[in-house]
Amino acid sequence: MIGSLRVEKLYYHYSDGTVAIKSASFCVEPGECVGLIGPNGAGKSTLLLHLNGLLPDDSHARGEVYVDGDRITPATFDAVRRKVGLVFQDPDDQLFCPSVFEDVAFGPRQFGLGDGKLKEVVADALAMVGLQGYEKRAPHRLSGGEKRRVCLAGVLACEPSILVLDEPTSNLDPRGRRELKALLKTLPSTKIIATHDLEMVVELCSRTIILDKGEIVAMGPTVELLSNEQLMLAHGLERPHILNHRHPHGPIEQPATLHEFRSA
Amino acid sequence: MHSHFSDTYSHLESPIHRLPASFKVAAALLIVITLVIAPPSPITFCVAGFFLIMVAAASNVPGIFIVKRLIFLEPFVLGVAVLTLFQPHGGIKFLIVTTRSTLCIATLVLLSNTTAFSDILDVLKRAKVPGLMITTIALMYRYLFVLKDESARMRSARACRTFTRSHRHRWHTLATVLGQLFVRSVARAERIYSAMCARGWK
Amino acid sequence: MHIPDGFLDPKVAISSGILSAAGIALAARKARIELPARRVPLMGLAAAFVFAAQMLNFPVAGGTSGHLIGAVLCSVLLGPSAAVLVVSSVLIVQCLAFGDGGVLALGANVFNMAIVSSVGGYAIYRGLHRLFPGPRGRLLAVAVASWVATVVAAVVCAGQLALSGTVPWTVALPAMAYVHMLIGVGEAIITTLVIATIAQTKPELLDESNAVTVAGRGREFVFYGLIIALGLALFISPFASKWPDGLDRVAESFGFQHREMHLLASTPLNDYRIPGIHSVNLATALAVALGTIVVFGLGWGLARILVPAVKPQSEMNADTPEASGA
Repeated sequence: MIGSLRVEKLYYHYSDGTVAIKSASFCVEPGECVGLIGPNGAGKSTLLLHLNGLLPDDSHARGEVYVDGDRITPATFDAVRRKVGLVFQDPDDQLFCPSVFEDVAFGPRQFGLGDGKLKEVVADALAMVGLQGYEKRAPHRLSGGEKRRVCLAGVLACEPSILVLDEPTSNLDPRGRRELKALLKTLPSTKIIATHDLEMVVELCSRTIILDKGEIVAMGPTVELLSNEQLMLAHGLERPHILNHRHPHGPIEQPATLHEFRSA
Repeated sequence: MHSHFSDTYSHLESPIHRLPASFKVAAALLIVITLVIAPPSPITFCVAGFFLIMVAAASNVPGIFIVKRLIFLEPFVLGVAVLTLFQPHGGIKFLIVTTRSTLCIATLVLLSNTTAFSDILDVLKRAKVPGLMITTIALMYRYLFVLKDESARMRSARACRTFTRSHRHRWHTLATVLGQLFVRSVARAERIYSAMCARGWK
Repeated sequence: MHIPDGFLDPKVAISSGILSAAGIALAARKARIELPARRVPLMGLAAAFVFAAQMLNFPVAGGTSGHLIGAVLCSVLLGPSAAVLVVSSVLIVQCLAFGDGGVLALGANVFNMAIVSSVGGYAIYRGLHRLFPGPRGRLLAVAVASWVATVVAAVVCAGQLALSGTVPWTVALPAMAYVHMLIGVGEAIITTLVIATIAQTKPELLDESNAVTVAGRGREFVFYGLIIALGLALFISPFASKWPDGLDRVAESFGFQHREMHLLASTPLNDYRIPGIHSVNLATALAVALGTIVVFGLGWGLARILVPAVKPQSEMNADTPEASGA
């Protein structure tokens, strides 16, 4: 199942009046992997929360979000939350059940799956993230990387058509990071990844959105955007090292893999 | 993150660990009830003690750990038990109450270290404990380690900038750490609520 | 004051268990009304917080240390029913996962710390806050309520130990009461400081809990009151002073005590005791408990007769002349 997303003229302010998102409009096609980058405080996390209908006070929001062509409204929250799987920044916030099994089973159970099929679904989801046999483990005994993967398993168990990830590689050691990136590459669903990990954006995302002070300041093919040193520096970012060894002149064919990019 | 006062060994493999949780909880309750109801006699206590030692041996839980746990919890027993001394035949009462209490504590320590907490939670669910309380207990267990770590970090950070040992300063540090810890807990609770809703909770 | 197993005899364990079960059942029904859904995870976090806070000992005096109970803190922030559940959860986890506090003694521990401290403390807080409104008044109310809740819980605990025959009342009461008067000061200070921090950084939490509990009809307080009163009757009243009361004392001094007449041939509960039960303590306890229920029932009945029920708003509107088409 692969879904599409459309955001139109999104606006949001917090209850104290601070504007978090001034105006955001973009589309994500089925199967695409889009990176969302920007300095701290740009509004990335807040934007992601809109994709799931999670913000507490709708009166502070304007604009529309469409998932597979259907508008997100309080009436459609349930359906949207099945389709859009959100992986939060801090795995401790998302891994709230007393055992791994309970946590991965949480989503499917809420969506009505019976006890009989649950074991199978949980086992499949854990296998997908490389944590077979972890059902009985207690969350507080897992490493950061393992917790992240359990969170991902919990979301995958709901079979979402769109995967939204908030800083998936933060606080991971290099091995955890490599493993997570490899895992994400294997997932076919539409992906939106908010991150500071620019190397990962180049490796995984064909298109990137740069958000700064609540506005989309640039949107386009990843390599082209991230190679633009002036643009990156202007918005609290920088050109990733992986692109320093290659200076594209003019429009380029978006490489399908990093290997292709290097050998081009 | 490991600490000596937790159910550190509940995930081991042993014949005792493999027994169903409801059986273990019932057995523990039975032992405690027997100890409380039965007329106190050295024989009863010895039999109970022997039984617990056998279970402990079969369970692969390190004996040192059990002893350490008992030592840690004993002051709470002694603190109340010492009051029994102030009455006629107080000495005997003190011994009886202390022995009985220690055996009961050992039973519970063994239970908590041979049973995964989520299994104990299942037993509570079946015992018709209200759903809201099950949720609270589950979340509490999950996050107490997180909060413990957070409070430890805050206290070390505080200690790095503390140069006096006065009582008043200790109080002030305690109050600040607790206040901040609670405010952070409220924020975390809101994020957890979002995460629960994101996966369909109503 | 977590009582370990082995200190309470079966009758105290069972009776306190029944009262606690009733209190928890009531709290479970009311908490969902008092607390909005998005605060439910906060119950779990508050329980974790109370647990974490209980591990931070504070110096009391001369080497003793105390720790936070957290009952009033939770009831001010989450409402009394949620607080009952939160503190009970803390006690259950401490008992089952950490061996701290007895499993048979759970009934007593829950009654003392989750019900008496939370609900009783909350009632004192609301009463005082009404007398002293405003942010300062709130902190004063919190401090006093925390202290009183701690001491009363300790006194009930002393009663339970004494009724079990483990520790004589004359030893238990001073030991528990005096120590917890000191610990109560710590509880008051910490609770007040935490509430003050929250009032500064997240005041909407306090406003929210105020609004909801005011809107609730408050009838559950009657039932909580009954549960607490029964507990006090069972665990404390047997030890109420056995010295003759004022009139008897006077009668003794003036020598006319033999002149009292018994108008009814024999009253059912002579001298506040149930005939046929030999233990004076137990007999007194049961008699007072029975008396409490009877008086409560009479009061409830009278209230219903004398005070007309307030009609719901919609019915009242229907009675107005315009509505009935006059």
